[in-house]
Amino acid sequence: MSVSDQPIPLSGRILDIGVRFLPHFVLFAVIIGAWEISVATGLITSIIIPRPSAIWSAIVELYITEGTIYRHFFITLTEAVVGFAIGAGVAVSLAIASSLWDPFRRYVTPYAVVLNVTPGIALTPVIIAWFGYGMGSKIALAAIISFFPIFVNTLTGLVQVDEDREELFNSLGASNVQVFRKLRAPAALPLMFAGFKIGLTTALIGAVVAEFAQATDGVGVLMSRFSFQLNMAASLATLLSMTVIGLILFYSMEFLDDRIVFWRRESRRAAASRARARTWAAQAKK
Amino acid sequence: MAVQDATSEVLVDTLERSLRNRRIAKHVGIFLTLTLLWELGSRMGWLDPLFYPRPSNIIRSFWLIYFQNANVWFHLYSTISLVIIGWVLGSMLGIGLGALVGFNTVIRRFLKPYVIVLEATPRIAVAPLLIAALGFGVNSKLAIIMLVCFFAPFINTLSGVINVNEERLELFRSMRASKTQILRKLVLPDAIPVIMAGERLALTAALSGALVAEFIQRDKGIGSLILVYTRNLNMASAFACIFTLTIIGFLIFKGMEKLDHYIAYWKYEGGRERMSSKRKRTMVEP
Amino acid sequence: MVKHEQSMAAAGDVVVSGLNVGKTFAAGTVVALENANFDIKRGSFVSLVGPSGCGKSTLLRLVSGLIEQTSGEIEVHGTPVNGPRADISMMFQKATLLDWRTSLENVLLPTEINGTPSKADKNRALDLLKLVGLEDFAFSFPAQLSGGMQQRVALARLLQTGADILLLDEPFGALDEFTREHLNTELMRIVAEVRATAIFVTHNITEAIFLADQVVVMTSRPGRMAKIINVDLERPRPLSIQTSVEFNKLVEDVRETLGAV
Repeated sequence: MSVSDQPIPLSGRILDIGVRFLPHFVLFAVIIGAWEISVATGLITSIIIPRPSAIWSAIVELYITEGTIYRHFFITLTEAVVGFAIGAGVAVSLAIASSLWDPFRRYVTPYAVVLNVTPGIALTPVIIAWFGYGMGSKIALAAIISFFPIFVNTLTGLVQVDEDREELFNSLGASNVQVFRKLRAPAALPLMFAGFKIGLTTALIGAVVAEFAQATDGVGVLMSRFSFQLNMAASLATLLSMTVIGLILFYSMEFLDDRIVFWRRESRRAAASRARARTWAAQAKK
Repeated sequence: MAVQDATSEVLVDTLERSLRNRRIAKHVGIFLTLTLLWELGSRMGWLDPLFYPRPSNIIRSFWLIYFQNANVWFHLYSTISLVIIGWVLGSMLGIGLGALVGFNTVIRRFLKPYVIVLEATPRIAVAPLLIAALGFGVNSKLAIIMLVCFFAPFINTLSGVINVNEERLELFRSMRASKTQILRKLVLPDAIPVIMAGERLALTAALSGALVAEFIQRDKGIGSLILVYTRNLNMASAFACIFTLTIIGFLIFKGMEKLDHYIAYWKYEGGRERMSSKRKRTMVEP
Repeated sequence: MVKHEQSMAAAGDVVVSGLNVGKTFAAGTVVALENANFDIKRGSFVSLVGPSGCGKSTLLRLVSGLIEQTSGEIEVHGTPVNGPRADISMMFQKATLLDWRTSLENVLLPTEINGTPSKADKNRALDLLKLVGLEDFAFSFPAQLSGGMQQRVALARLLQTGADILLLDEPFGALDEFTREHLNTELMRIVAEVRATAIFVTHNITEAIFLADQVVVMTSRPGRMAKIINVDLERPRPLSIQTSVEFNKLVEDVRETLGAV
């Protein structure tokens, strides 16, 4: 019920977005400006806190001129993703097994609890001793650390029982397999994805921390090296790429979550509705 | 946007239930069998001591580090004291800022992009930077711990303060409550459970943060011990230290659970009963 | 016995009045209520009944002072309504108890907000809980109470301040029929006992007629008061009165009014 039903022209929409983001830009500019001035005038020592301009030069050098960062960027990204994939694969399998066979669950649980309460990071030196200095140890640590949140969330999701729905399936004479495939598994997806999001974050942490300990490639190594050379500007420029990795991982998982667990957002529900209507109509024509 | 970790309860629940049902004998039996097989395999030379330190050696190491050489106490004290101080300071900062930002819509709007960026960055990754900037020693360790355990309480407090039930607000308005009263009697108590959840996450993060700091600084603390033992290929002692952390982790888990039962009593059946009787006793006086 | 403050004025004078009251939302595009005129006498029980969107809840909130009218005037005890006030007490659809407080503490909430509760206040709260039949649950937490019990605590809380104008917004809507009927009877008893004036919103025609001295039938789109029907049935009212001929005539009357528009 809007005042006017005319479509808003593109220029108007761009202006709209611009106006919304303008205050943020202004604030950012002010912060950077104040920061630059404080360091330049010696208000803050540049040893601990580098100047924005220095950070900028470092960014230009790393990302544009010499492009050294990209190799390390992809290595760390790969470590995190592969580690996550392994951790998730094992975690989901074990969770499914635990939800289907009670004895299995009972006997696996104590070890899972032990794994949970132990800070996974503590295993870093041991993992490195086992898997060496290459990507293997980073992937291993990422996998181990991401295992638990995924396992717990998936198991909880599979084990949660909606009595009404169970009763429905029972009344329809569904077999155990059907109940699992058509009820438990889909119902568990939201929690599973919640676990995935946590797991992905922790996988990245695992990869980075393992890089600190010992490695030649990866943004963690780069950051560590720059820090100890007291090249704070470059170190922060590298931190930026870690943020980018984090954002990529987060939004990728959000995207998957949105698509696979489509029934939680109205826009996705509507899209899925339309898609199903189309397939149905197409099949009806045959 | 609150950071939740409610799900490990399902596992501890399963564990406690099966322990109560006299299956404890079976659990112990399985555990002992596995350990004996491990021991046998190690003595027969089938299992590489690097990957599978002999159980008897692990036990011997426990004895050494705790009693004979008693060197673990010093490191335990170092790690734990830093963790606790860092946790208290970091989480208090998180709660304070979370509340502040929560009450102020303008600040919240402007801070939002920075929070998103901060959330995506693995905060523990800043460790080398902080060590390089603040030097080796307690200061940088504390800074790292505070940084990692700031975030969860911040987000949770923010969320708790913002998400106040509309109907309750209306009730308070209909009773002509002042803003301070709404804060004290509604917002704060309502936010307590979420804040407690954040605190729990913060404590686990603090422990991890301390370990990472010790891995890099290698001076003292359980993390340094694990590193040193692993370097010397003394896997048995390394594992003894890791299991020590398991015990600490478990104590943290149980401790926070007890604390939660005490502070957010109304969420628990037992807590409600306890408080009921208590209130009854204090009210019924002349 | 729980008493309410009574002024020197006799029963029968107008305590709540509305003149051409209207309320629109979204810059005038949604007309929630228009042209409402009413005079409510002291001690009477008025029901507002109608379908969703007829403006009954809006009207109640306007009288309570929680929202402001777009046009017209509303007066309580002779003074215009500018916001929530001490002589008006309100009960909502959900019990909205604070789950970290015991029943007693929940009942004391309004008193606490207006200062420190005295010994007398605490005793009053206990008496009110007794009145609603929950004295054994004074120290229980909401999570330990059923839906009906929670609403009874909310009812006690409603009466704690001693305000003589009681506004109730579909308080029993979420309960099962048996509990609802029981609470309806209790409500009438209590309101009569404390001699309050009550305005009760519901979408249940039977409930509206059963409780009230006057039923205001409201229709939607736009929200307006279609008809005011007097209910001259005996008091106290037994549940059995719902099967009587007079009662059903009134039900028909209400339905016709609703159906006609």
